[in-house]
Amino acid sequence: MLTTPEARLMGLVMGALLALAAGLASLTLGATAIAPATLVEALLAPDPSSVQHLILRTERLPRALIAAVVGASLAVAGALMQTLTRNALAAPSILGINAGAMCFVVVASSIFALRSPLALAWAAFLGAFVAALLVALLGRGRDGGFSPVRVVLGGVAVTALFVSLAQGLLVIDQEGFESLLLWLAGSVAGRGLDMLLSLLPFFLVAAGVCLMLVRQLNLLVLDDEVVKGLGQRTARVKLLAGVAVIVLAGGSVALAGLIGFVGLIVPHMVRALFGRDHRWVLPGCALLGAGLLLAADTLARLLMPPQEVPVGVMTALLGTPFFLHLARRRSFTP
Amino acid sequence: MRKCVTFAAFVSIQLRVLTMRPSVGVFLLLGVLALQSTAGVSAQESHDERPVRIVTLYQGATDTALALGLEPVGVVESWLERPMYRYLRDKLPAGVRYLGLETQPDLEAVAGLVPDLVVGTRYRHAAVYPLLSRIAPTVIADTAHDVEAMLEMMGEATGREVEAQALLAEWRARVADFRCRAEARLGDAWPQRVSVVSFRGDHVRLYYDGFARSVLDQLGFLRPAGQRGSGWGIKLVSRETLPALDADAIFIFMRDDAAVAELHREWTAHPLWQSLDAVEQGRVYYVDPVIWSMGAGILAAHQLLEELYEHYELHDVVHRGEGGKC
Repeated sequence: MLTTPEARLMGLVMGALLALAAGLASLTLGATAIAPATLVEALLAPDPSSVQHLILRTERLPRALIAAVVGASLAVAGALMQTLTRNALAAPSILGINAGAMCFVVVASSIFALRSPLALAWAAFLGAFVAALLVALLGRGRDGGFSPVRVVLGGVAVTALFVSLAQGLLVIDQEGFESLLLWLAGSVAGRGLDMLLSLLPFFLVAAGVCLMLVRQLNLLVLDDEVVKGLGQRTARVKLLAGVAVIVLAGGSVALAGLIGFVGLIVPHMVRALFGRDHRWVLPGCALLGAGLLLAADTLARLLMPPQEVPVGVMTALLGTPFFLHLARRRSFTP
Repeated sequence: MRKCVTFAAFVSIQLRVLTMRPSVGVFLLLGVLALQSTAGVSAQESHDERPVRIVTLYQGATDTALALGLEPVGVVESWLERPMYRYLRDKLPAGVRYLGLETQPDLEAVAGLVPDLVVGTRYRHAAVYPLLSRIAPTVIADTAHDVEAMLEMMGEATGREVEAQALLAEWRARVADFRCRAEARLGDAWPQRVSVVSFRGDHVRLYYDGFARSVLDQLGFLRPAGQRGSGWGIKLVSRETLPALDADAIFIFMRDDAAVAELHREWTAHPLWQSLDAVEQGRVYYVDPVIWSMGAGILAAHQLLEELYEHYELHDVVHRGEGGKC
C-alpha cells in the first residue's frame, strides 16, 4: 500500500499511464493494426481518403472513449456505493442498479420505440433509481438499519427481477426485440460518438458532485453517531452521492448495456493501493476503471477475430483472479 | 387390428431406414409403438397405411408437407409474417391448428389432434422426442437444412415416395438448368464465391452454414477462403471487420425494422463497405429473409432459386454450350 502523499501521487500517475497505454492499445490494435504514427496523423490531420484514418475516427476513437468513460463511471459508482452502504460487496451490478437501468432502457427502446440518446439515458436513470429504491426497501431490517447481507440479497433479487423482465420481452417476440440483446450482453462496440456526447454533461455533473463530496465521503465511513457529532449533514451527502451513483451507473448502461465486475473489483484494487481516503480512491478508481475496460475491450476483439468476445466476459476473466487474490488477503470491509 | 397396422407401418419404415443411402444424412427415428389410447381415431384411417393426420413441428417440415400435397392438421407458428409465412399460407388447409413456437410446441395440443405422424427436427425436438413418440409415430430430421433429405424422409414416412421422387427430380433438373445458365451468363466469373449476410439490430451475421448456404452449395456457388469455419457462422459488431464479408457477390437479408435499417445504413455508408469487391462489381443482392433463412423446405428452395434467376438475369439466357442442354 502507498502511504505517503508522494507515493500516492506516483500511484495516480502510474494509473494514468496504464489507462493511457490501454487506450493506445485500443486505438491501434484490432482487425487492422494501425501504427502510432498514423494515429497522430489521423487525429491532427485527417485524410478522408485513408481507410485507416477512417477506421480510427469512426470506429476506434468512439469505442475507446466510450470504454474509458464507462469503465471510469462504473468504478467510481462502485466505490461510492461501497462507502454509502458500508458494504464491501456493493456495486452497481450486484445491487441491481445496472439491471434496473437496463430493463427501463429496453422497455423504452422496444415498447415505446424511443431511440434518442437522451430519452434512453433518462429511462436508464429512472430504472437505476427504481432499482435503488427497491433494494433499499428490501435491505432495511426490522430495526431500520441496513444489514449488509440483506442488502446484497435484495440486490440479487432485484437483478433477477429486471433481467427476467427484459428476457420476458424476448419471449414475447424473439425476432422483433432482438436488438435488446445489445443491452443485455453489454458492449462498447458500434456506438457512435453522438451518444457519448449527449450523455457527457451528465457524467461531468456527476464527476463535479464527486469532487465536492470527497471530504464528506471520508466521514461517511465512520459511525453515524460520530458523523452527527462532527456536525455533518449526512442525509444530504448520502442523497447527493446516491444521485451521482444513479447518473454514473445509469449513463454507463445507456451507453454500453450490462457490464459487470468493473464496479465491484476496481474499488477494491484501488483501496488496496491507496487506502480509504476518497481524495485518492475516487481518481484512482476512475483511472483504473477506464484502463481495465479499455484493456478488456481490446483483448475482446483480439482473441478470435473477426468476431468479438462480449466485453463483460472479458472484464470477468481479467478481474476475477485479481479479485480472488485480494479477497484472500484482505478482510471484507471496504 | 389397429395395433397390427401400426406395427406393420413401424416395421416397414424401419426397413426403409436400413436401406436408406447413408449419404442422405437423415437420421430417422421412429415412434415406439404408438401407445394410443386413441380416443377419436376414425376407423377409416386405420385402414389406410398412409398417415393422414400429420403434425409438423418445424418450418421446413411444414414447407415439405405442403409440397407433397399433404394437409397438416397442426403446424408450428412462423417466425415472421405470423402465424404463417405468406408463401405457404394459401396452401395451408383452412382448419389447421397452430401449435405455438418451433422451440416450444404445445404438446397437449399435439396430443389433442390425435396425429398419425409427427415430424420434428433433431436440434429442436430431441429432448421431447420420447413424449412425441408416445403421442404418435414421430420422425426426426437430422438436419434442418438438407432439403432433399427432408423431402425423401417425409415422402417415405407418409407413403408418398413417388411424389417425393418426382419433386426431387424436378428440383434437380432446375438446379442443373441454373448451373448451366449461370455458366453461360457469367463465363469466367462462374462459379461465384458468395457471402450470405444478415443485418440485425445490433450486429451483422455472416453465415457459414444454414438453409441458404446449403442450397447455394448445391447450386455450385463457392465460399470465400475465410468462410470455411465450423458452426452456423459468425457475428460481427465492428465496422472495421467489414472485409470479412468480401466475396464476388453478397446476398443480404434483413427484417423490416428501424434498428436494423439504421445499422444497415451505418455499415453500407462506410468506405470499407464501398471497397468490397461485391459492392464495386454491383453484386450486392437483397433477398427475402423468409425464403432465405426461415422456409427451409423444397418450396422455399424453389423460390430462392427463382430469386437467383432474377438477380443474375438468367431467364433470357440462350445457351449454346456443349450438349446445349439449357
